[in-house]
Amino acid sequence: MSRRVRLWLVLTGGAGLAVLLVAACLNLPSFGGDRHPYGDRAVRASIARHTANVVSSVNFDQRAFDTLGEMTILFGAVLGCVMLLRQTRDEHRARPEPAEVAPPVRRYALLVLPVALVTGIYVIAHGQLSPGGGFQGGVVAATALHLLYLGADYRALERIRPLGVYEVGDALAASSYVVLGLAGLLGSTTFLANSLLPYGTFNTLSSGGTVPLLNAAVGMEVACAVVLLLARFLDQAVEIEKENGE
Amino acid sequence: MNDLLPLLVAVPILGAALLVVGSRRMSRPVAELAACTVSGGTAGLAIVLLLNSSPPMTEWVGGWTPVNGESVGIVLTGDGPGLGMAALASLLTLAAMVYSWHYFDEPPRRHAGSFPALMLLFQAGMCGFALAGDLFNLFVWFELMSVVAYALTGTRVEDPKVVQGALTFAVVTSLGAYAVLMGIGMLYARTGELALTQIGRGLDAHGGPDALTLAAFVLILTGLLVKSAAVPFHFWLPDAHAVAPTPVCMLLSGVMVELGTYGVWRVYGTVFSGPGGVPDDDFRRVLLVLGVLTAVVGAVMCWYQRHIKRLLACSTVAHTGLFLIGIGVLTPEGDDGVALYVLGHAGVKAALFACTGVLLDRYGSVDERALHGRARELRPVAVMYVIGALALAGLPPFGTALGKAVTEEAVGGPLTVLMVAATVLTAGAVLRVAAGVFFGLGPEPPGSDTYETTGTGEEPETGSRISRVPDTMTAVPAVLLAAALAVGVAPGFAGLVSHGVSESGSGGLVVSAPHWTPHGVLLGLASTLLATGLAALAVTRPALLTAPDWTQSLRRLQSGHVGDYVAWLLVGAVLLGALALPGVTGS
Repeated sequence: MSRRVRLWLVLTGGAGLAVLLVAACLNLPSFGGDRHPYGDRAVRASIARHTANVVSSVNFDQRAFDTLGEMTILFGAVLGCVMLLRQTRDEHRARPEPAEVAPPVRRYALLVLPVALVTGIYVIAHGQLSPGGGFQGGVVAATALHLLYLGADYRALERIRPLGVYEVGDALAASSYVVLGLAGLLGSTTFLANSLLPYGTFNTLSSGGTVPLLNAAVGMEVACAVVLLLARFLDQAVEIEKENGE
Repeated sequence: MNDLLPLLVAVPILGAALLVVGSRRMSRPVAELAACTVSGGTAGLAIVLLLNSSPPMTEWVGGWTPVNGESVGIVLTGDGPGLGMAALASLLTLAAMVYSWHYFDEPPRRHAGSFPALMLLFQAGMCGFALAGDLFNLFVWFELMSVVAYALTGTRVEDPKVVQGALTFAVVTSLGAYAVLMGIGMLYARTGELALTQIGRGLDAHGGPDALTLAAFVLILTGLLVKSAAVPFHFWLPDAHAVAPTPVCMLLSGVMVELGTYGVWRVYGTVFSGPGGVPDDDFRRVLLVLGVLTAVVGAVMCWYQRHIKRLLACSTVAHTGLFLIGIGVLTPEGDDGVALYVLGHAGVKAALFACTGVLLDRYGSVDERALHGRARELRPVAVMYVIGALALAGLPPFGTALGKAVTEEAVGGPLTVLMVAATVLTAGAVLRVAAGVFFGLGPEPPGSDTYETTGTGEEPETGSRISRVPDTMTAVPAVLLAAALAVGVAPGFAGLVSHGVSESGSGGLVVSAPHWTPHGVLLGLASTLLATGLAALAVTRPALLTAPDWTQSLRRLQSGHVGDYVAWLLVGAVLLGALALPGVTGS
């Protein structure tokens, strides 16, 4: 298809779809209304189970089965990356050269690294209490490690990042989520039932029953998965080269 | 019993995760055996649950059973169609894994479990999608099976063609997924619900359909029809099938594409079929127009392929059209017919892909012309190929024939003629391939000078060309064909399928059980004869069947340019909206 024809198709299709979407949005409930059927129910259910962060209650209790799927998507993406970004027959590995880093950058990165790491772990640990949780905190913790790449060089990063350990961690975290679900099935006859542990005192670290545990499993899975994903892409960019020296 | 429904998803996920840990110290055979055990165990569980699915089960995951009709949880639907699709997906995954025993040459070092683990995740995604009774949950499993399928499609990443095929698959399907998500947002804004039946009730409570209902309908259907490869959302399918490893093709064509059609059936039946949704007449118009277009385009494209995997992929497109027509007439008989047809088709199509994989690994080519007369020595494969082609045409008593006959009777009139024509053309093409490749019939084909996708110069997936065909690679298609036969002949099976479908489709109104009728048998025999005749004509008088010009322009649409495919996706969404518009403006 020529560029012109394609452009016309996109414009026609896009315009038609835009008309439909605008017409649909005019029929949406107006902003700031007081009718929130799901929201009201979710808040009630969350408070009944002593989970201060309603979003975490939705993620790891009320709709924990969705989260199982979302976590598995990330897990599958990592596996897919391992397979697609492998070192193929026509490629070889080159040692990365040590790189010069400007001293202020180095100082800043090394200063911020521990702070960022602790922040990530804090966000995971307080998932059931305050905004954040396993998904968000996991990403923060994983990015924190990569400050070492900016502050020192790739070899320094590789030293604190034994990929095998992270792969095992990723898979074990994913399995522990399923195992917690199965424990619910064995303990109280429904998969992912939050009835094994006491709900605890509202707004304390150990409140919410299994929510903190599922949250921690997701936090570990996300942290490991992000490290692994970045590692695969960095490997392609930094280490793996075409056989004939491209 | 219903408590066990989530296990159909949880077990393969747990298996995949443990396999990733274990396979660091496992040899390949052990890793593959472990994966087959998990997959087979899940399939067994699905079958046990299926046998207990009358009356249909529902399961609120985590024990969030509705109080006063309200729940914040996720519901799973364990009825005949849902568990049937889950069982089909599981069995086919097992077949594909047995087929790929000792298959890939180069698993990444210390990652022998990657491929089987991805297959298990694919199985989990398909089972979750089949069981979902919650729209957002349906979307999550839609995404899982898509993401895993992109990776599996791109397995042989060294080849630029593979990257192109996997990338177009990923881009087009992801756009479909975003459309679904937007549609979910709109329905949620209107009803505040996510469970399918609750959304349906919420729409009905709101009154007649309006622009928001129409937009949600269009967006959700766009995503599901991308998955089921309906025209004009189908372009990713031939490109992806041409490059995906054979075991993956077996799953993509055998069950994943059909899951898209199943999703359309499920979502319409539960969400949009009430007075607040899209009126029957409009939905029928949407599905029949798209179904006819899909069947015609798929069948014509299929006939003019020489790349055998592409040819089979286009035949899948044509069959998707037939399935859409079958559910589009909105009668219980049509649903029964399609259910049987999908089961039979899964066995036959997967078997044909499996046989094509033998050609690829033995000769390093899937080009009909380059392989002319070269596979004479592969007698068992040749026999299976011919049987598969005849079953595709609708030779009684295969399950495909029974499903086709019941569907044809349900649609009636000119649509029956179209169904026969589409099967004749697709099965004729497969028979033509079999006659040329395995028996060397017809004149030596000339080398072609026009630009087209040939299918030569492919890398065998087994690393080096195999000299002896492993038993697993011939046993699997044989078992699959036997299963397709069993769908048609096993006494009482069709009745069971129909019972399961009507219990969830037409609200428990069990209509007459589908069975062989003289009319259906005659139609099946006629299709088979016509397909054989067409193939014979193609072999003896190829000059009579040179491609007319308009087919060239049809084939040029399959350009491989992802921008083209996205443009067609937009046009398709608008077409959906235009077809369903009268019911919305009229009320």
